[in-house]
Amino acid sequence: MSQSNMSRTTAKTSPARPRPRGVKAFPRPAGQDASELMELAVDAAQSRHLPEFLERFASRAARMLDAAWGGVAVFRGRETDLYQANRAGITLEIAHLSTLIRLARESRREIEVVPTASETALSEVPASESSSISFVPIIASDHEPLGSLCLIRNNKALNDVERRVLQALASHAALSLENFRRFSQLERSKRQWVEDIDAISDYIVVHDRTWRIVRTNRSLASHLGVPPVALVGEAMSSLRQIAEAGTELPCPFCRDTQQSREEYVVTSPERIYLVSTSRTPGLSDDDTRTIHVLKDITDRREAERRYRELFDSIQEGLFFATPDGRFLDVNDAMVRMLGYGSREELLRADVGPHLYPMPTARESFLRALAKRGVLRNYEETLRRKDGTLLHTLQNITAVRDATGKIAQIRGLMLDVTEQKMFQSQLQRERDFNQKILNTTQSMILVLDTAGLISYANRRCFESGYREDELIGHHLVDWVEPSHRESFEAALETTAQGHQVENLEPRVRRSDGSMGHFSISLSPMRDEQNVVNSVVVVMTDITDATMLQAKLAHSEKMATIGRLVSGVAHEVNNPLAAILGFTDLLLENPAIPDNAREDLQIILHETQRTKDIVQDLLSFARQRPVQRELVQVNAVLRQTIKLRSYDFASHGVEVTEDFDENLAPALGDAQQLQQVFLNILNNAYDAVQEAGQRGSITIRTQREGDQIEVAVTDNGTGVSDPERIFDPFFTTKQAAKGTGLGLSICYGIVRAHGGEIVCGNNENGPGCTFRVRIPVASETAAASIAKEAGR
Amino acid sequence: MSVHARAAVPAPILLIEDEPSVTAFLRAALERRGYSVEGAASGAEGLERLNNGHYTGVISDIRMPGSVNGAEVHAWIQRNKPELSARIILISGDTANSDTQALLAQSGTPCIEKPFRVQQLLTVVERTFGKP
Repeated sequence: MSQSNMSRTTAKTSPARPRPRGVKAFPRPAGQDASELMELAVDAAQSRHLPEFLERFASRAARMLDAAWGGVAVFRGRETDLYQANRAGITLEIAHLSTLIRLARESRREIEVVPTASETALSEVPASESSSISFVPIIASDHEPLGSLCLIRNNKALNDVERRVLQALASHAALSLENFRRFSQLERSKRQWVEDIDAISDYIVVHDRTWRIVRTNRSLASHLGVPPVALVGEAMSSLRQIAEAGTELPCPFCRDTQQSREEYVVTSPERIYLVSTSRTPGLSDDDTRTIHVLKDITDRREAERRYRELFDSIQEGLFFATPDGRFLDVNDAMVRMLGYGSREELLRADVGPHLYPMPTARESFLRALAKRGVLRNYEETLRRKDGTLLHTLQNITAVRDATGKIAQIRGLMLDVTEQKMFQSQLQRERDFNQKILNTTQSMILVLDTAGLISYANRRCFESGYREDELIGHHLVDWVEPSHRESFEAALETTAQGHQVENLEPRVRRSDGSMGHFSISLSPMRDEQNVVNSVVVVMTDITDATMLQAKLAHSEKMATIGRLVSGVAHEVNNPLAAILGFTDLLLENPAIPDNAREDLQIILHETQRTKDIVQDLLSFARQRPVQRELVQVNAVLRQTIKLRSYDFASHGVEVTEDFDENLAPALGDAQQLQQVFLNILNNAYDAVQEAGQRGSITIRTQREGDQIEVAVTDNGTGVSDPERIFDPFFTTKQAAKGTGLGLSICYGIVRAHGGEIVCGNNENGPGCTFRVRIPVASETAAASIAKEAGR
Repeated sequence: MSVHARAAVPAPILLIEDEPSVTAFLRAALERRGYSVEGAASGAEGLERLNNGHYTGVISDIRMPGSVNGAEVHAWIQRNKPELSARIILISGDTANSDTQALLAQSGTPCIEKPFRVQQLLTVVERTFGKP
């Protein structure tokens, strides 16, 4: 059917034979109306093609009513199709047809007769001058106007019979049009249905009881690369290539044929399908139609699988939980982190009491979440199943319901326990290193590659150096000039990556004095293993050097002591024989006088030897020091008194410069007196030898926890102060001493835990002996006082 | 000064000394004063003689080579010859030795330090053993 509209009317016309104008058409024998109407009914029932039917209808109506022209206008929405009678007496122009259509649409519900002369547009219609047009409305059963039957007749009024015939024709036309319309609607919807089914991307296949394919949609057929119709009648088993449910049935998609509805997943190596199966009775009683809809869920499954895989393989803990403290889902990492045996076990846990060491922490977490909805980098300490603590960093999102209440909590959790521990360990280590740097007795400096000091530890400043004279300055500037070259060479060696140890240069101290330092240099490297600075560890070993010398000295003295002791014993035996026999000889009256004089000399010299051996033994002996409180000043005064006659008679001036508040020492007064006497004797001998007016100054003072006795004379001084305490080292004339006096003093002072040193005076002649012995501690003093009082 | 010693035939003094020259001098000095002297060259020999003989008293060097020194001779006498425990004189080359000091202080035994004059010796011997 072609479309037409009011403005651009095209009329469906059958090729009409040209007819001469004014010719009367369709002469109609009377009484034929009934049979015509009967035939019309048959025609209507048999016609499958509407246009042809309507053309025949128009012809029949024109014939029955003796019209020159007949047509049927059919309304289709705003459009109108016009079907003309096959054999008409006149031929109408397009303009005429348009007018006709307009008039037909305007026509009422009743039959209308319009004279052609009244319409200008139709005045040209080649009919008789008095011709008219009859419009018979075709009305559907629901009163909808379906169209209009138009007949052009010579101006003949319609009689009642004609009106009834027209009414009957219109009724027939309405019925037929309605039927045709329904039929075409059905056809259309059927076709549309097929198109719709074909448009579905899911695979649809329908099979009957005999497992034969009744229908498939286009998606399924094109998946197999064939037209849909090619599959009809094939066995369902031919679709096995798509996928299989894994049953013994001939249909790869059927599972339980007793079920009217089923849904399940079937898989092929490549794809996964969700199969929805429906079973309905077929057209005949013994038939059942089975409809399978296969939805390809491979991608969805893949997405789900990937999601699950990600969910479970991710190292961060993931969870979904309810606000009242139940997990809805957790991933493996979460289970592992919290130390649970399985996902199920954790899902059973009550989050509040089981995971939170403190209930208040859970409450404040929920409050914060309710307030903000999202928590970023939220730090929380949780409890593992075994009770140990887990430090976590969480990112939480609250999912709210329609009322705004939190319905679900979703979160990601990081285990930062190690970082926490690492962090605190790092902090501890840093503190530890800082403490070492700050409390070590060594000075630690860091030099850059140019040798400039960039760091100095606290010890450096405690030693008196100022920050502004160290930082940014060359360390080498502090080194004694004669040592600089070797020090710089050592720095160079270190810069090349080698450690240098035990350098012992002399370095200027903060007070300007030079000290003996032990220095080690270590290279410090950056990330690229390039030496970028040098760590310098410096220790002032001036005292240590002296201590070492002292130790060596005392070792030597001890060895000498043992040697002397042995010698003294061996000498005593022959000496006893010599002395004894000399005595016996002298008792003999027969010995002449001159021999007697010689014997006296032997006796004298033997006595002297005996004295020497006695001194040697007292030097070597290790008699324990008596522990008593000793007032050093008093001991000194007694000692001076012993020699005061000699001092006075030889003009030696003795000056006492005593600290009268001197604390007592702990020791042996008798032994100390021996020491002081020895020193005084030495001083006396020295000033006598010097031959000028002798002067001896004795000074006592407290130095820390020691008492120092300094005996200064203006005598000859000593040639070798270091060796003066060695046995038999004497500067005195032969036979004046045994050479052991000061060695004995040395032994005594050492036994008191003190020291004795000797040095020539810097400002003038003579020398000074210094004896230092420890002050009696208060507890020692108290305990001795108590013992004495008992 | 034992009555018993004077009444009986004078028993010799046992002189325990490893040094021959000292032994010779002591023997000469004591015999010249009228004491009889019997010598032992070591501590061990001294103990053997003490076990078998009879002596007025014992003079013993403290420091002697060998297994028995003067201190041990002294201790042996205390245990086995208590009648001689107050009739011992020790002689020593080193009284400063702490062991010797302890022994002398504890027992009150007289000791003569080498070298000594004849008169020193005789004074101590007469005081301890009595006149010959």
